[in-house]
Amino acid sequence: MKYDVVVVGSGPAGSVTARYAAASGAKVLIIERRPEVGVPVLCAEGISKNVDNYNLLSGTKWMAASMDGARIFSPDRTIVKLAAELAGAETGYVLNREFFDKELVQGALKKGASIMLNTTAIDLLKNKDTIIGIKALQFDEHLDIEADIIVAADGVESKVGRWAGINTTLKPHDLETCTQYTLSNIVVEEGYCDFYLGKKIAPGGYIWVFPKGKDTANVGIGVLASESTPQLPLKLLNTFIKNHPDLKKGEPLRFLAGAVPVAEPIPATYDHLLLVGDAARQVDPITGGGLMASIEAGKSAGETIGHAIELQQFDQKTLLPYEEQLQDTLYRKLKRNYVVKEILQNFDDKTLNMLADSLKNYKFDELSTFSLVKALVAKHPSLLIKLKPLMRLSKL
Amino acid sequence: MAKPKAHINQILCLACGGCISVCPQDAITMNGRKAFLEKTKCISCGICINTCPVGAIDLEGKK
Repeated sequence: MKYDVVVVGSGPAGSVTARYAAASGAKVLIIERRPEVGVPVLCAEGISKNVDNYNLLSGTKWMAASMDGARIFSPDRTIVKLAAELAGAETGYVLNREFFDKELVQGALKKGASIMLNTTAIDLLKNKDTIIGIKALQFDEHLDIEADIIVAADGVESKVGRWAGINTTLKPHDLETCTQYTLSNIVVEEGYCDFYLGKKIAPGGYIWVFPKGKDTANVGIGVLASESTPQLPLKLLNTFIKNHPDLKKGEPLRFLAGAVPVAEPIPATYDHLLLVGDAARQVDPITGGGLMASIEAGKSAGETIGHAIELQQFDQKTLLPYEEQLQDTLYRKLKRNYVVKEILQNFDDKTLNMLADSLKNYKFDELSTFSLVKALVAKHPSLLIKLKPLMRLSKL
Repeated sequence: MAKPKAHINQILCLACGGCISVCPQDAITMNGRKAFLEKTKCISCGICINTCPVGAIDLEGKK
């Protein structure tokens, strides 16, 4: 078996990379260890409306609900509302990830990519030190699949990178450990994604309530692994639900655990190898959102691969435009937000309450973490001192 | 006496991959939709135990 490109993992990072690579003429194979694309879901399922700009989705099943804004609840439940100023303007969606992932894969297949399910990558195929493909296990059959380029889209626990000798180990300080119920039979404020902050609520993270319909929502928690103890996320989430008047009567339709890298992106371009998505730590460190980052990076990776296949050159230098194209856009934002994450995590509950109180009537110009940071600095110029590392970053 | 090593309860594991991503020894892999520990690589650091959101990892021998 010989392909131009083998993509390990059929999540959004993998399927979008596959789509753009196939569209530029590459012979692409996606391998997926699970028996079904998009299942099980491991996600809070929120995404910005910016996804519309990519024209990747055609049906409607991928969308559970559309959002008008977000509400941030401080420890004393002061609410900061980030809403679209223009009435009716959508700011984001809550997804049905099982359908969303399938549509993205279908998009790649329509451009000519292939996929193999129940196929687990077990090692890189090498000739001396050069990567020449991937070793995989399909059911119980060993396969050697040759390829000029391997794309590691194998998620937070990425093994492909480790096989190539890259240290991808996350520090507990850079991982959110998560659990989530999809609760039905609850009271939902439709149109708003809610975030609850506080050291006692979710140390180093937050609890979210993302509505999926009239009486259903994803209710989940992320705790910074360095501040967690065994089972702490689950215990805190259960306590929160039990004490929340709108949620306590809820019954679960789904229960899941998750892990989200909140690190800085790691170098993702090597000879014959690219890392994309969670595997490359392309996640907003403040929100833990990685879908848009994966799509943005996947597009850049796929297009760069297309060019490399045309040239028949697969070295790091030829593939570097993948990351260079992201430097002024995605990577600038991720690096900036990593600095902000470090600052936010040091705020105690009293400070969070004070900050929330000062912003409770603020009119935000857009719904983004950046507009939130801008508002904080406008209200509290002394924060600028803490944000000094950002000045350095903005000069990059 | 050797330090007790991590033990993954396969019934509780929900395959989120968090333990795999923080293991400094690359001792954990996903195997048949469950996290699986290669005991000889484990150095008893306990990072995975604190990381597991549902409490599926414990020290060996602990009830």
